[in-house]
Amino acid sequence: MTADDGVTTGRMPIGARVHLAHALVQKLAVDAGVDLLHLKGPAFLPDLRPPGRHSSDADVLVRPSHLSRLVAALESVGWEQRTDFATGSVFAHAANWWHDDWGWVDVHVSWPGVTIGHEEAYDVLAAGALPQPIAHIACPAPDRTGQLLVLVLHAARSIGSTEADYAWSRADDAEQARVRALAATLRAEVALAAGLGELEDFRDHPTYALWRHVSTGGSRLDEWRARLKAAPTARARAELVAGVFRVNRDHLRMELGRPPTRQDLRRRQALRVRRAVRELTRLVSGRSS
Amino acid sequence: MTTFRIADDVAWVSREDLDDGTSPMAYAALLPTGPPVSLEGSACLVWLAVADGGTMEEILAETAVMADAEPGAIRDDVRALVDSLVAIGLVRAD
Repeated sequence: MTADDGVTTGRMPIGARVHLAHALVQKLAVDAGVDLLHLKGPAFLPDLRPPGRHSSDADVLVRPSHLSRLVAALESVGWEQRTDFATGSVFAHAANWWHDDWGWVDVHVSWPGVTIGHEEAYDVLAAGALPQPIAHIACPAPDRTGQLLVLVLHAARSIGSTEADYAWSRADDAEQARVRALAATLRAEVALAAGLGELEDFRDHPTYALWRHVSTGGSRLDEWRARLKAAPTARARAELVAGVFRVNRDHLRMELGRPPTRQDLRRRQALRVRRAVRELTRLVSGRSS
Repeated sequence: MTTFRIADDVAWVSREDLDDGTSPMAYAALLPTGPPVSLEGSACLVWLAVADGGTMEEILAETAVMADAEPGAIRDDVRALVDSLVAIGLVRAD
């Protein structure tokens, strides 16, 4: 034993922080009577995770009707919301909270690619949930089939990610069949196909372009075109059009490291318009050449 | 006889759990208020001994084995550390 050894407070490595954040969110959820599932990283079975890969945030899926209780619990211990559900991603499925001690927690009310109702989807994924010990606290996670599906659906919108390949390639035929059956129950077949490189099987599907965009990349214009095509109703399409030039205040705040001023927002607005015009110009000139 | 164990509602993780076994290190927090605490070197060894639960003598013996030290040489340090951990709520004395 040396004089330098001891007990200190202060910054932890990200891996430790993520483990403790999962445990803390679970404690808050239990105390507040909130149903939630822990996703990815230390919540998933070790053989589904490529060795040496660590998460940078704690992902949880909350029962949608319990969201407000979870938010109150998170904020009661000092977590600050940094992005909201509307601006967090094209799927409006998650929002982020930050805490100086515990880092990021990513709260999901749905998992992109799942198209049945959020509450029903939660019930399906929670059926047979496994208590996964994280930082010595039992944290419920979807069963093995659910975990594998979540990984593949995540890969479908993560260009270059190899995490799902690792898990899928180790799954036998029976396990892959169970994942496909679960995807059918959750009506997530298109996203599953995108994650497995089988998207061309759904070429005529309204969401094909959106999944092609998020799985392979493209311009902002491509993204909006794909989102418009995938929007199920005229109202949803109108809301999307209204949002085309709206600045994402949350992302700008993270980029600047401070709340954006009106001038920041005006500058970014002008930049978005210029960028859209450039993309449109390129598109038109490409077609006419 | 007083026995010691990690308190309920304490989350903790060691470098072993993180696949980073370069030196003994653990991070612990009393939930939900924290703050997170780092237990480095011999403090981590004492923590791991407490995780198995036991009397002060058992914790001392376990720590001595892990630290490759004479129990008599580390007795005061181990006792002081366990008392500190009890005082901050991370360890429970029954």
